[in-house]
Amino acid sequence: MTDFDYAAIDEILASRVRLAIIAFLAGAKTADFAAVRDATKTTDGNASIHLRRLEDAGYIAMQKRFVARKPQTLYSLTERGRRALLDYVAHLETLLPPADGEAGRDGNR
Amino acid sequence: MTKDQAREDIAFIRRAIEDGAAYATARSPDLLVWGIAVAIGYFGTYAFIRGWSPLAPGALWAACIGLPWLFSLRRLAKRLVGSAVATRGPVAQAMAMLWFGCGIFFMTMGIAVNATGQARYGWWNAVVAGVMGIGFFASASLTRLAWLRWVAIAWWAGELALFALRHRLEALPLAAALMLLLLAGPGYVLMSRYARRAEA
Repeated sequence: MTDFDYAAIDEILASRVRLAIIAFLAGAKTADFAAVRDATKTTDGNASIHLRRLEDAGYIAMQKRFVARKPQTLYSLTERGRRALLDYVAHLETLLPPADGEAGRDGNR
Repeated sequence: MTKDQAREDIAFIRRAIEDGAAYATARSPDLLVWGIAVAIGYFGTYAFIRGWSPLAPGALWAACIGLPWLFSLRRLAKRLVGSAVATRGPVAQAMAMLWFGCGIFFMTMGIAVNATGQARYGWWNAVVAGVMGIGFFASASLTRLAWLRWVAIAWWAGELALFALRHRLEALPLAAALMLLLLAGPGYVLMSRYARRAEA
C-alpha cells in the first residue's frame, strides 16, 4: 500500500496530450502552435482544444504576433502551470519507492 | 495507478521536457552569428594577403571572435543582471556545453597556433573543420535532427579538402565558404524553419 491519492490528481493534467504540452513548454520556454502540435503528435483541432483548456486553466499564456506578415501564435508556461507540473510529478513520486523517486525528480528540471 | 504506470508517466514527462529543450536550442541564432563572423575573418585574411584589404588579420580576428563570444555569452550576462532566463533541460545543457567546449578549444588552440607561427602551415583549418564535424554529429543526436549528420559528414569532407590545400592560399576562401554553408546555413535553416511555420 502507498499513500497515493487518486482524488489529488490534477484533472487538467490527467489528459496525456495536455500533460505533454505542459512538459514540452517547460523545456521550450516559448513555442509556436506548430511546434506544440508536432511535439504532441496530434491534429490542429485537437491541439487547439487542449491548448484552449490549458489557457482557460491559467497554465499557459498565449501571445499572437506576425512573422514575415504571417500570424504566429506563441505559447509559454505560466508560473501556475509550472507549479501544477511539479505537483503532478511529486504526486506520481509518492507511488514510487524513495530510490526511484530520485530518478523521477530529474524530469522536473 | 501502478508503480510501473507512475514510472512510465515520469519518463514521458522527462522526454517531453527534453523535446522542448531541444526545440528551444535548435532555434538559437548562435550558429548563424558564428558562421558569418568566422567567414568574415577568413575572407578578410584572404583579402589582406591578396592586397585587397588594408585591415590587418589580427584586429579583424579579434573582432570576428570577440563579438560572437559576447553574443553567445549573453545568457550568462542576463543571469548576472537578474533577467529571467529559462531553466535548461539536460539536452539543452549538453548541447550548450558541447559547443561551449568546442569554442574554448578553437579559441585556445587558435591563439597558440598563431602565437607559434604554426598558422602558416595551414593544418589548423582542417582541425577546425574536423571538430565542427564532431560538434554537428553529436548535435544531430541530441536534437534528434537527423539531417545534421549530413552537415557533419560535409564538415569532414571539408576537413580533407582543407588538409589537401593546407599549403595554398585558396584554403582561406574555402574555409570561409564552409563556415557560411555548413555553420551559418544550418543556423539559418533551423531559425527560419520555426519562423516559417505559420499557424494552420
